[in-house]
Amino acid sequence: MLYLVLAIIALAIAAFFVGQHRAMSIVDGAVSQLHSRPGQHGLFLALVSAGPALLALLAWGGFGPSIETALIKSQFAAELSELSIPQVEAFVRDARAIAFGGIVAFSDATKEAAAKAYQAVHSTGTIAVAILAVLIAITGFVFGYRRITAPFRARHIVERAVKWFLILCSLIAILTTLGIVLSLVFESIRFFQKVPVFSFLFGIHWSPQSAFEGAGAEASSVNALAFGAVPLFAGTFLITVLAMLVAAPIGLMSAIYLSDYASSRVRAVAKPMLEILAGVPTVVYGFFAALTVAPFFRRLGDGFGLDVASESALAAGIVMGIMIIPFVSSLSDDVINSVPQSLRDGSYALGATKSETIRRVILPAALPGIVSALMLAISRAIGETMIVVMAAGLAANLTINPLEAVTTVTVQIVTLLVGDQEFDSAKTLAAFALGLVLFCVTLAMNVAALRVVQKYREQYD
Amino acid sequence: MTDANPSFESADQITDRHTDGDARTRLRRRYAAEFRFKIMGAAAVAVAALFLVGLLSTIVGQAIPAFRANFLQLSVDLSPGNIDPADAKRADYDKIVRTALLAMFPHVTSRQERRAVRGLVSTGSGNLLRRAVASDASILGGTLEYSVPVDDFVDLYLKGLLAERSQYAQLDSTATPSATNGSASLTLDGPALYQLVRSSGHGQTSEDGSIRLTSGEPSYLLEINGGVAKLQEISAEVASVDIYRPLQSAVASGGMQVRVIEAPEAERKISDREIVWIDRLKDDGLIQNHWNTIFFSGGASREPELAGIWGAVVGSTLTMLVTLVLSFPVGVSAAIYLEEFAPKNRWTRLIEVNINNLAAVPSIVFGLLGLAVFLNWFALPRSAPLVGGMVLALMTLPTIIIASRAAIRAVPPSIREAALGIGASKVQTVFHHVLPLAMPGILTGTIIGMAQALGETAPLLMIGMVAFIVDIPGGFTDAATVLPVQVFMWADFPEPGFQQKTAAAILILLGFLVMMNALAVFLRKRFERRW
Amino acid sequence: MRNSILSMTVVAVAIAASSGFAVARDQIKIVGSSTVFPFTTAVAEKFGQTGDKTPVVESTGTGGGMKLFCQGVGEGTPDFTNASRAIKEKELKTCMDNGVTPIQIKVGFDGIVLANSKSGKPLELTKAQIFLALAKEVPGADGKLIANPNKMWSDIDALLPNAKIEVLGPPPTSGTRDAFVELAMEGGAKKFESLAAMRKADKKAFKKVAHAMREDGAFIEAGENDNLIVQKLEANPNAFGIFGFSFLDQNADKLQGARIDGEFPTFEKIAAGDYGVSRSLFIYAKKEHVGVIPGMEEFIIEYTSDNAWGPDGYLADKGLIPLPDAERESQAKDARSLKPVSM
Repeated sequence: MLYLVLAIIALAIAAFFVGQHRAMSIVDGAVSQLHSRPGQHGLFLALVSAGPALLALLAWGGFGPSIETALIKSQFAAELSELSIPQVEAFVRDARAIAFGGIVAFSDATKEAAAKAYQAVHSTGTIAVAILAVLIAITGFVFGYRRITAPFRARHIVERAVKWFLILCSLIAILTTLGIVLSLVFESIRFFQKVPVFSFLFGIHWSPQSAFEGAGAEASSVNALAFGAVPLFAGTFLITVLAMLVAAPIGLMSAIYLSDYASSRVRAVAKPMLEILAGVPTVVYGFFAALTVAPFFRRLGDGFGLDVASESALAAGIVMGIMIIPFVSSLSDDVINSVPQSLRDGSYALGATKSETIRRVILPAALPGIVSALMLAISRAIGETMIVVMAAGLAANLTINPLEAVTTVTVQIVTLLVGDQEFDSAKTLAAFALGLVLFCVTLAMNVAALRVVQKYREQYD
Repeated sequence: MTDANPSFESADQITDRHTDGDARTRLRRRYAAEFRFKIMGAAAVAVAALFLVGLLSTIVGQAIPAFRANFLQLSVDLSPGNIDPADAKRADYDKIVRTALLAMFPHVTSRQERRAVRGLVSTGSGNLLRRAVASDASILGGTLEYSVPVDDFVDLYLKGLLAERSQYAQLDSTATPSATNGSASLTLDGPALYQLVRSSGHGQTSEDGSIRLTSGEPSYLLEINGGVAKLQEISAEVASVDIYRPLQSAVASGGMQVRVIEAPEAERKISDREIVWIDRLKDDGLIQNHWNTIFFSGGASREPELAGIWGAVVGSTLTMLVTLVLSFPVGVSAAIYLEEFAPKNRWTRLIEVNINNLAAVPSIVFGLLGLAVFLNWFALPRSAPLVGGMVLALMTLPTIIIASRAAIRAVPPSIREAALGIGASKVQTVFHHVLPLAMPGILTGTIIGMAQALGETAPLLMIGMVAFIVDIPGGFTDAATVLPVQVFMWADFPEPGFQQKTAAAILILLGFLVMMNALAVFLRKRFERRW
Repeated sequence: MRNSILSMTVVAVAIAASSGFAVARDQIKIVGSSTVFPFTTAVAEKFGQTGDKTPVVESTGTGGGMKLFCQGVGEGTPDFTNASRAIKEKELKTCMDNGVTPIQIKVGFDGIVLANSKSGKPLELTKAQIFLALAKEVPGADGKLIANPNKMWSDIDALLPNAKIEVLGPPPTSGTRDAFVELAMEGGAKKFESLAAMRKADKKAFKKVAHAMREDGAFIEAGENDNLIVQKLEANPNAFGIFGFSFLDQNADKLQGARIDGEFPTFEKIAAGDYGVSRSLFIYAKKEHVGVIPGMEEFIIEYTSDNAWGPDGYLADKGLIPLPDAERESQAKDARSLKPVSM
């Protein structure tokens, strides 16, 4: 199979040179008489000869094994009829293993026979496909070869193929979104059949553990009131606000300092430093938050006679803020730098100091960009998972006290899906519903950020 | 912005609203504000730097012990009596290790003590020996000096992380032991030891003045006549001790040394007996501390001393390969289409908005996507780098597209116009002229996207990559885990030895990330062009 | 352009080929409880050292594991699942409907401990006091339920330390929490006359009261990462944590377990059944996969060998509390003869 693919690729390369040569020889080396360049003729020939053949091989690669297996199963239907599904699977697997190598778990005469049949089917199939592929390739080659003439527009065909490929690639983004939406929506709908949307979005009591009347085996009816997600939203909001309280001023001020004040030496050190901060994986921040920052705040709180929960929103929020600093600063940096020098010069000419210029001229001019940067940072904070999984608690408290433990949407998604929950219950489905909410909220934030930039951005150039 | 001219300073000069006293106060205030603003900016950068330093120093400080490990040198008997050369695989290697180990402690007889001796080396020692024999059969036949990793608690002790490794101090007193092994009593000829214990306030003093030290009290280890004994009870004249390392003779000693371990025995994971044994092995030069090769070459393990990062590194590499192969060509192609070919209509607008949104979709949502589509729908194997790579590819795709578009847009129109002007087609223009010029930018963006993917954990939690996998993955469909998930898992293991491993794994992960980012910076610096 | 098209084709074909020819599985796959995970992984590692491929063990939680396990038979489904509780009837039914016959192996006990840092004060509690400290609603003076008024341990009993009640515990999705609630909280609730009466009259209502943990900050759900809880306890001597015995065992130098109903949580006491808050741990094997996936039987034998789960076995070193000799023997016999679970 591999050789066949390689052969066809070799054919494609050969076809390229043949096509090139053919095009040249048609016009006796007078390239200018060709409509398309010889290389394009070559590519055209390579495409028509190898493309369909490769597609055929691809199809066989995908469907071949199952076709083979189906054939074998029908051939041995009598022997297999009494076996259970895994035994049949084992039969097929062992037969394949005997036939094509691999670890054979258990062998017997029937399997040996099946393996023989497998080999036969496989070799027949492979030969058939090989012949088919070669035929297709040759037909394509001949067809293409005869098309090559001086006025033949090979370029258009090749370029159209390239363009279609490019379009296909950009459609993957749409497919991804579609995939996300569909996978979230289906499960969410099943959830909302059990729990009304209203009590999910506006309920203020989140305790999936008490969602079932009775415990363990008797668990049956769903108590919709236990799925009020407001405490989760509040917790997410609280942690996000704390993160932004850290990230927004520090990020913005660093951006300003680095773009307008810092000497190039400072910049050369500080910029990579911020980039390192941005590149640190979130699981590392989580480790840091849980083991260093949270105990630190706790001790600090004890010193002041304050009562800080070990899982305080404060620790998670601040570490998340640290994580977002570089995000804010690099985005703001771009925006501040894009304010034209002429505005700065004008302000200086009026006698304004640097800080006045920044505060009165540059920031207002850059405001839309900064706002959108902050919005993107917020949506980042909302969706952040590992820090809160490791450092924030699971207590669904409805509070605005940052010293208490709160929980977030992402934490609940992880615990609901990876925890010891009962399966197929509203709890598992709730994770998808929360995912949907998360997706919608971040989507809204991003669209809003985009709108802000589009609507208020001033074009200076 | 100009300094006030000194000649205007005298009061009888004509005043001007730009130069009078008010103005100067105003100016001073403005300059002060300017200064404050600048300081605030510098402070912001400094705070960010402080965070970074705090983060890194915490992790580096924890990680350093994990990079070295202690190994115990054993004389293992690989003679045909123990291993049948024809069937070397089946020999009882655990027993060979055990025998070699017990040979070093001839005085140990009781079952409990033998168990403790066995516990000095890693439970995987036999298996390591088996592998060594399998890879090189020529070592069979005689006695071999073979180094095995020590148990994780022994390792932690040797690194000073369990109990302080305090030194023996000379005591101004001598004693006569009643026996050389087991429980014994010491006849003291001076009160120095008694006074030492008494003054420290440790132990329970009974009515007759003798002091009893329980396992909840600090330990007193006495070195006497070349052996070591632990103090159990002491009065002014007699001390009863347990001998952990046999004395060479029972005659009156020339001197005595004492060592106090402050952490009570009951509160450590290592007993006084083990401490004495380890110290002896260490003094005999049988325990060597060298570079922890197991950590860098092994797969996961439940024993901290056997746990390695290599499985996760290979898993990460496989996953990243899938991600790169999928996301780079697709991302660049999409960027080319959107930037160079796409007509400005509703469809392309939709695609653009879409990509921008995807860039900000929380990573965990991609995990949900992977769970629902790849695992449940396409029934792809759980825990496989293939699936992980696909999920991460979808996640990095927007980053690559956005960076590539920016790089393509930065190529000045004049290049395109020149190419088109001499008759190149649009496709030729793009592929022959624009793309090569944009490549450094595209590569930079790709590397940064890949670095993000390498550190990503949350989506992989959803597709079963939180798994215990010992074998090094060999293919894209083998079960594997990746570096950040390994970090997440190790942070959860109860054995204290894993804490250093976690930090060390983080350090390795960061090392890879720094390397990738450095490469990106290098590319940008080296090839970036400005027009 | 030429290069890119060609390379993409190669890649596409290679990927299609590698996924099309999915390799037959010759490796055991295990899912399930994070509590049993440390033990099963230890067995898996030992098992792998003897020459077979090391099983892959995934930590999905008991429920998630049951879901995957009961999904059906075949290579795409796991061969074993770990569980920190016995299989539920509903789950067993799903299993049977999908053609899965689980073999139940009870592998040992896990004690659930209430522990704090060694630098804090030791605590001695009864189950009733645990209930008073952690329940959302407790019986008031007249037997009626009132919101839990106890802020300090000394509010419950003057003999208890005068410190704030602060307990870090696992989330509701965890098996440790289930067991704690069932054993300690229910056990405590039964001690109150009014609640005992309620239990007789309306079991559901009783469970609702007994299972509700307080939400005013005295009980903090701290995530499933027991290791982090240990570190948080070290940082805060007044706080207590609820977790499995193995964590206390591994961290005996830092933590002390509270006495419950007069018994310290020690290896011996839990094994003997004296310590009141302990649960059984299980693994379930898929009978249909025996003789199909290589190594199934050998793995069961390894797990049920005294070298592994015996009192001196390596699982005991990991903190698993072994079953009594007789039960171990009967469990091993049933497991090795592949006796399916019965309810």
